[in-house]
Amino acid sequence: MEQSSTSALLQGTVLDLASDVVSALRSGDHVRAGSTLTAGGAGEGVARAAVRVLGADALLPSVLLRVSPAPGQLAVFKDAVAAHPPRADAAPAVVWSHWAMARTLRRLEHPLTGPDAAEPAAEPGADWLDAAGWQTLTHQLAVLAPLALPGEECAVTRAARRRPVDVARGFVRAVRRRDWQQAAGAGRWLTLLDGVPDTLGLEAGLDFVRLMGGSDPRVVLQLEAARLMPAAVLL
Amino acid sequence: MSVEGVGEAALGWVWAHRDDFALGDDALAADGQVNRTWKPLGELTRVCASVSLCTPPAGPLHARARDLLDFAWQQTHRGELFGLMQSLEPFATYPLEIYAAFASAGFRSPGYEASAAVVARTRGWRLTEQYPTRRLGVLEAERHSGIRPHGSAAQALDRTWLGGLPEPWTFERAAGYALTHVVFHVTDWGLAPRGVPPGLADYLPHWLPPWLDTCLEARMWDLSCELLAVAASLPRPPEPAVLDDAWQRLATAQDSSGAVPEEGAAQDAAGADAGPDPYDFADCYHSTLMTVFAAALTAARQRDADHAGQHAGQHAGQGVPG
Repeated sequence: MEQSSTSALLQGTVLDLASDVVSALRSGDHVRAGSTLTAGGAGEGVARAAVRVLGADALLPSVLLRVSPAPGQLAVFKDAVAAHPPRADAAPAVVWSHWAMARTLRRLEHPLTGPDAAEPAAEPGADWLDAAGWQTLTHQLAVLAPLALPGEECAVTRAARRRPVDVARGFVRAVRRRDWQQAAGAGRWLTLLDGVPDTLGLEAGLDFVRLMGGSDPRVVLQLEAARLMPAAVLL
Repeated sequence: MSVEGVGEAALGWVWAHRDDFALGDDALAADGQVNRTWKPLGELTRVCASVSLCTPPAGPLHARARDLLDFAWQQTHRGELFGLMQSLEPFATYPLEIYAAFASAGFRSPGYEASAAVVARTRGWRLTEQYPTRRLGVLEAERHSGIRPHGSAAQALDRTWLGGLPEPWTFERAAGYALTHVVFHVTDWGLAPRGVPPGLADYLPHWLPPWLDTCLEARMWDLSCELLAVAASLPRPPEPAVLDDAWQRLATAQDSSGAVPEEGAAQDAAGADAGPDPYDFADCYHSTLMTVFAAALTAARQRDADHAGQHAGQHAGQGVPG
């Protein structure tokens, strides 16, 4: 009972946090966004866990729009990075998600005191993506959508760039399966890739995903990111 | 099991159930149910015609397909019933569409072709209202039956869902069945991959994989088989890994009798201990025929590829540039 209410609380916090990010991306100003991340509050542990779920996207407005994060937001984000380093046997997507968060902190010039920040070159491998079929590739890329940023250069983005048709197939599959979050994440990647077949109809596809899945702020977060991609300049 | 093995088992089921394809007394009745009489017989003929033309005479599928064609032709009284059908419904297109399947395999009735040509000269025939995909099929039926096609196949193609190169994520069941038949018509039921226009030859290998994947996941076995037949009808098929995976998944749906059910719902209804013949004829005959069709085309393409490889190897051995 206690566990399920904790999990419901976390889920709700993730949605609130995603809504905050969406508001900030739309308004271009984090101050006008919600305040789910407030350091020191009773829900700090939950907030930290919610940041882990959204990963580097929790600070996406700062990265894409070049606005400084609010001190409270940044503090929770830093805590989330420091408190949960991936275990030695963690899945590649978990390792990369952590890497992306640490990288975001470095980008914002608030280096974390620890081995991650001290070794910016310590990039994990992406062989698992090269070996994956197009379905798994798309699923993993959607999980790692925070890495889909203009100008981002890492093993995951290189793996995605090598397989634009496969990611496009994954987008079609996700829409067919009504998996709007995966479709939106794959769509965000596709806005960055060369070689996507024109017949995909990505722009109409993203509008369709918004129409069908737009009640979920995690979906909208990806769509807003995709919308900002062509104009955005990475910090 | 190999692709050919899946096809052979499916054709075994068809052979064992050939009497269910027979025309009953109601085939020419004024209130006859075409979907239960002529349609299954026509589909049997369509598949066996293609299988007999794309398989080597000594192969496991060829002789049985020819025998089934003989059986089906006998059911039409060696073509005589087509004239009778025409006298009942002179402007219906389905008798000509069924007849064309026989004609493509060399079973012909000059008398019926002459009378069909009279009807096909009318404006009324040319203006028959029908889906663009069906229109394409009628044009092909005319061509196979010695009748000058009443319109342009390219124009008919442009008006189909597939011909307009739709966004692939708009694919749904009805669009799927429309697109498979477009490809069947433009390739003469898989026998002429070069009939696929260049735009479609690029488009289809991109998007068949997610369509196949999601249809297989939804246990839409019938449409999955048709998509596999489409994949084997293209000048440049999708990657082998995609097709291998799809065939393995389809094979799991095949019953020990060789039957492949139309949809997962039929499997659920049959239950775990359904006995030696678990599905109603209506719930599995079409998907089982489509399994035969897709398997024969896939094996034929594989033979073509092997042959081309040997050919290239011989040339390479002789020092001739490829």
